[in-house]
Amino acid sequence: MMPFDLARLGEDRLFLVLSAAERLKQNNIGIIRTLTGQGYRVVVITTNQPSAVLRRLYTAEGIELSKVFFIDAITKYAMGRVPEGEVQCRFVNSPSNLTDLGIAITEVLNTLSGEKACLLFDSISTMLIYIPSTHISKFIHFITSKLRLVDASGIFLAVEKGLDPLLLTQLTTYVDGVIDMDSHAAAPPQKEGGQEGEGPRQSSPVL
Amino acid sequence: MSEGVATGMEWDGAVREGLKGKYRVGILALLGGVCIGLEIGVHLFLRTAVGYTHIFYVLLVLSALWYYRRALLVAGGLVVATFATSLVVGDLSWATFLRAAMFLVVTWVVGVISEERDRAKAEVEAQKEAVEKKHFALVGYISEAALRLKNPLEVLRDNLVSIRSQLDNSPDIGELKIMLSVQVTHLEQVLENFRALNKEIVEEREEIPQAYREFLTR
Repeated sequence: MMPFDLARLGEDRLFLVLSAAERLKQNNIGIIRTLTGQGYRVVVITTNQPSAVLRRLYTAEGIELSKVFFIDAITKYAMGRVPEGEVQCRFVNSPSNLTDLGIAITEVLNTLSGEKACLLFDSISTMLIYIPSTHISKFIHFITSKLRLVDASGIFLAVEKGLDPLLLTQLTTYVDGVIDMDSHAAAPPQKEGGQEGEGPRQSSPVL
Repeated sequence: MSEGVATGMEWDGAVREGLKGKYRVGILALLGGVCIGLEIGVHLFLRTAVGYTHIFYVLLVLSALWYYRRALLVAGGLVVATFATSLVVGDLSWATFLRAAMFLVVTWVVGVISEERDRAKAEVEAQKEAVEKKHFALVGYISEAALRLKNPLEVLRDNLVSIRSQLDNSPDIGELKIMLSVQVTHLEQVLENFRALNKEIVEEREEIPQAYREFLTR
């Protein structure tokens, strides 16, 4: 599994991470593993995988769950009820309920103030099922502003080549950098000692 | 761009129109001066009313092209000048009246035709703009729909592949049920988005037959 390169997470705080659709889940796990390993408290906003499933996946991967908090916007909407016994998790009625989602994010970030916190948004592509791109753009802008205010980091996952040019341009202006998690697959192999092809490519905010 | 705020292009157009208006007034003033000069120089001093009035039509036609029926004021001015010099010279005749009438008639005809032509042109431009606006709106909607259909379907496909692979390794049935419910919910919303796209297209395209309208929005 590909490690998430955190080299710039100190100076830059907000990243748009592009991933191939079939590697979205693996990249999510890779990012969480890296972040928790670096001592971050991670808030996972999930609109694709139910938090119960993610929790099981993280456990199977040996990720320290005490450092992960979930905001689950899909379980209640899909199942019509909240599973019992879920801890460190807040459920939102629907992925399209941006007001509740915003409130949940604000409250969770407030509880983590003073700590090394990072928010993982999984994913913009799934959110596009439920809300128009203009609303997504405004919502991501809201979250990035909130993260900057509380001095927290943020990673926004999206399927690569899946965002239209306008939305991609808007999103790149909100974040500090764009990381293509799967660019190494297309990059030419390095013979020896080189960095290229060994990790994800990080680009300037505007692609 | 909010309403009431001129865009760069609108501002540019307004400036160009303003300059054009100033040039037009300048050209007409110059021509008017030439015509009055001819009236005085040729008619009053040389005592002949032949030939020079043809120059007047340049002024009258340009005035009518640019200012439509308001150019009748210019024609009226020339008529007054012609009558005044004819009275002073003493050659007022039916030819003077005919000439004056021709000034007014030519100006009126050119003015009416120009006004009608520009009105029709503006109408065609407005229609073209409305069609282009609709077209861009439709393209924007299709692009948005593609964004909200293609990607989500890829994510759904990969989620289903993941679920299928879990079936090979003693799956947790409860978890699989949750996962499948989530995929069904995603799919329902994708279908709803697709219906919305069809509805938008049907409303946009009036030429689609009724039977297909019902089929597409069902």
